[in-house]
Amino acid sequence: MKNHQTPKIEVKARERTGSRYCRRLRAQGRLPGVIYGHKREPLAVSIDTKEIMSLLQQGTHVLALTVDGAKKTETCLVKDLQFGYLGDTVIHVDFARVDLDEEVHVHVQLSFVGTPASAQKAGAILSHDLSDLEVICRVSHIPEEIKVDLERMKDRTLLTVGELMLPEDVRAASDPGTPVAHVSFVHREEAVTEEVEVAPATTEPEVITEAKSDEQKKKAGT
Amino acid sequence: MKMPKRIKFRKQQRGTLKGRATRGNYVAFGDYGLQSLEAHWISARQIEAGRIAAQHFLRRQGKVFIRIFPDKPVSKKPLETRMGKGKADTNFWAACVKPGTVLYEIAGVQETIAKQALARIAHKMPVRCRFVGRRLAV
Repeated sequence: MKNHQTPKIEVKARERTGSRYCRRLRAQGRLPGVIYGHKREPLAVSIDTKEIMSLLQQGTHVLALTVDGAKKTETCLVKDLQFGYLGDTVIHVDFARVDLDEEVHVHVQLSFVGTPASAQKAGAILSHDLSDLEVICRVSHIPEEIKVDLERMKDRTLLTVGELMLPEDVRAASDPGTPVAHVSFVHREEAVTEEVEVAPATTEPEVITEAKSDEQKKKAGT
Repeated sequence: MKMPKRIKFRKQQRGTLKGRATRGNYVAFGDYGLQSLEAHWISARQIEAGRIAAQHFLRRQGKVFIRIFPDKPVSKKPLETRMGKGKADTNFWAACVKPGTVLYEIAGVQETIAKQALARIAHKMPVRCRFVGRRLAV
């Protein structure tokens, strides 16, 4: 994302902190958050939930925050999200103050395009090993998503991080050999055994403590 | 059916299922998952039934991940037995599931197919379930 595209968002400083006040804020349609970093005091803030969620779902990582209508904006990176117990609602956002020229580590969503030729064979299963990729880049160059063209795999069965076409000035933080997607094949024999679904004979698990106590008894006997 | 290979003690107390899941509560391996909304014991037989239901529907497409494991031995006294004389033998193995636990995950198929496959699994489960996707990455 380039600098001129950085979305601006209005936040309000919150004087009262704690779970009770945060719960009240959420009921009013605002999301509690905190801004920290650059050796300055952390600031507790609240943001409009709908506004921030629509930006996060688009893959936005960097925001220009205006605190209480001040003229100066703070460029912040979405550092962490806290989820509710069922994992679908965001309940808190962490923002880290950043410079646009700073290098940061961020997780960027992968978007898979196409189907490799190897996955079109009979019994082939295409699996995506990664759903997001940790990249190192300047704040001004964070991509919203990384497109993975699976058709480039052709007849091969493995696509690794090293083979990804990353945008300019963006490099992967993980090992180049890390698999991104792979194609596996179900053999006929396996398929037959799966269909039969014979439940294995129930056997008792080995009890470790009983084996030990038997050894101790033997030792005591000798 | 799934059961542990090695255990430290043959029998366990029943315990209680309090609170919500703090681990295993998000989709980690696949693209879509089935999340429990209730606390319950899920027996090895039910887990296996769910797996079979999904794999029959998927017809060797995609991959099914089972995120729970039955590691709790549940004992049951035989019928027409008087009380006492010690704890009975293990009757079945169960997984302790709390609200929020992701039970199954599916990878490598479209959302519509994953929804249908997970709905078939949900019918085999003793708990209310819902379909979930992956969390936002930051």
